[in-house]
Amino acid sequence: MAEVHVIGQIIGATGFSESSLFCKWGVHTGGAWKLLSGAREGQTQVDTPQLGNMAYWSHPIDLHFATKGLQGWPRLHLQVWSQDIFGRCQLSGYGFSHIPSSPGAHSLDCVTWRPLGDWREQLARAFVGGGPQLLHSDVVYCGADRYRLHTAAGGHRAPGAGPDPEKLCPLWG
Amino acid sequence: MADSGWSTDSAEAVYRSRDPVRNLRLRVHLQKVTSSSLLYQSPSQLVDDLIDLTTFNPQTSASGHSRGEVDEEEAVIGWQEKLFSQFEVDLYQNETACQTPLDHQYRQEILNMEASGGRKNHRIFTYTDSDRYTNLEEHSQKMTTSDTEVPSFLVERMANVRRRRQDRRGLSTSREGSIVKSRIITWEPSEEFVRNNHVINTPLQTMYIMADLGPYGKLGQSNYEQVLCTLKVDSNGVITVKPDFTDNKGPYRIVTEGEKRELWKYTISDVSPPAQREEEEREQRVFKDLYGRHKEYLSSLVGSDFEMTIPGSLRLFVNGEVVSAQGYEYDSLYVHFFVELPDNWSSPPFQQLSGVTQTCVTKSVGMDEVAYFSYPFTFEASLFQENEFFADLPQWPVLYFEVISLDFWQRYRVEGYGSIVLPLAPGSHTMTVSTWRPVELGTLAELRRFFIGGSLELEDLSYVRIPGNFKGRRLSRFGFRTETTGSVTFHFHCIQQSKAFLEPGFSWKKMQSVLGGFYKQNSVFNVLEAFQRARRRMQEARENLPQDLVSSSTL
Repeated sequence: MAEVHVIGQIIGATGFSESSLFCKWGVHTGGAWKLLSGAREGQTQVDTPQLGNMAYWSHPIDLHFATKGLQGWPRLHLQVWSQDIFGRCQLSGYGFSHIPSSPGAHSLDCVTWRPLGDWREQLARAFVGGGPQLLHSDVVYCGADRYRLHTAAGGHRAPGAGPDPEKLCPLWG
Repeated sequence: MADSGWSTDSAEAVYRSRDPVRNLRLRVHLQKVTSSSLLYQSPSQLVDDLIDLTTFNPQTSASGHSRGEVDEEEAVIGWQEKLFSQFEVDLYQNETACQTPLDHQYRQEILNMEASGGRKNHRIFTYTDSDRYTNLEEHSQKMTTSDTEVPSFLVERMANVRRRRQDRRGLSTSREGSIVKSRIITWEPSEEFVRNNHVINTPLQTMYIMADLGPYGKLGQSNYEQVLCTLKVDSNGVITVKPDFTDNKGPYRIVTEGEKRELWKYTISDVSPPAQREEEEREQRVFKDLYGRHKEYLSSLVGSDFEMTIPGSLRLFVNGEVVSAQGYEYDSLYVHFFVELPDNWSSPPFQQLSGVTQTCVTKSVGMDEVAYFSYPFTFEASLFQENEFFADLPQWPVLYFEVISLDFWQRYRVEGYGSIVLPLAPGSHTMTVSTWRPVELGTLAELRRFFIGGSLELEDLSYVRIPGNFKGRRLSRFGFRTETTGSVTFHFHCIQQSKAFLEPGFSWKKMQSVLGGFYKQNSVFNVLEAFQRARRRMQEARENLPQDLVSSSTL
């Protein structure tokens, strides 16, 4: 009965060691939430910065949710990948952010991490590329099994999002 | 006098209308300004009737012309209605001048018209969208007084676009709004593709209302043609009129060049038939219906349930994130945290109040070593104050955490302890908490910590704030040695839910009284509940009674 509009954009990424980045994003919500319109997940284009090291995507996010309760507030999870000149894709980081719960314009800065293998895999990654990825991507937005992971810090990305004022219909309790 | 009423502003005006443009009608009134016509218009100015007015009657002026034909003309023109000029009549009667099918069509029309009695308009005529004039005019229109002005590359492209649009109108409008699903990039664009896609592509239909200002009897010379008004309509219902209608302003003036400079004035007014009242009402009803149905559909999707709180309680939702840790000595850090709920707070039974992040290897950002966790947690708790007599501020939950480093050699070191009170105000908060770790005097402990790991740890994490077993009035930490280590950043998004927020006259600043109001609501609710229960019991009891007793009672 309450509606939430999330309108924003994934601006770009910076701080990664590779350029030519793209981002796969998704919004995960709890069971009481229903998506009325908008794309729940997507993938940006590959951007190679010419000057500086910030890759800009400006990918729009426009979602309209209806909810029966406050649990399961939407979460934005991202995977940043890089693409090299041969067309191979390599994972650069997983990131996560809650959608802000107060209406208004927010600028979110989302940090990322990537799983580390042992020294052999790290060496291989430095020369040839590739590296371990998560088997189940829901670890990015659920914290339950995170302690099993050994990770390295990635770069950070800037999605700018703004939920519109929730239209809380009159709650006749 | 007519002079003071001239309109000199000939900028274009933009109108928007959703109705079909074929209903557009304009009335154009053109008149030559001569001394006699001036006088004729203001006879009241002549106070002394020394000169007989009839002498100046233009009907019998020296040139012998009748006023209606020479100096004044009025026409009501619809959208894309073709009115022929003398020049065109002369031109198209000659069969050899007709090249395109349109010319032939004009010729037919002119012949029919001549056969039926000549045309009704003399000076005012129009050029429609399909005439050659429109294209040429656009192409060679000069903007400056420079002699060497030639149409630039962009002008060529825009003209091409418009001309092509005439041929393929349907195709271009359908392609505009759709997203191309395949082949987003065209590697070798053809000329046509370039022409279509490199400039703005709004389909426009143009119409020119012209006047032939030549001397009477010599109408039909193309150098006397003047543009009175330009009309542009696009497919979105935007109508551009240049110059604007003269309803509230004075007429426009044209001064002709040449030996005899003549002054003409003209007015343009909009005489489109207004929509019938019933049609308008019907249209409005249809729209209202449509929107109403869409709204119903949306609200049926949304539903009308919403999870409410028990009256008298405040529910706190915290969507949080352990973002990063920076400034620590060693590598491979993780954060272990838990939330402590003070008295009067409760949380749902399955709620997890603690968490452990992943182990993260740091990287250098600027001067610092940072580790990024991006660890989400959500947390829900309810504050329920039953005790009416303790009306002091409730205590808010506290998050305690410790930062630990666990490296490849399995050396376990405590890097820091810290705590943070969850934010009281709802909204988004980013907080950075500095941490410290306990140290021992002497170098042995530090050496041990460096080589094999292991250091002093706190038994009870709540010592970071107020130890759980603290009873006195003054807390003394004398003798406790610590060292400052790095800091941890958290994001919190807090939502608070309570029935009290719905009360009229609720003010965010009066949070304290709201919490006090919980008690009142709570007690009122209790009374109501008790009443409902009693009533139910009574009804059940009545059902169990034998029938004759009930009928005889007066309840």
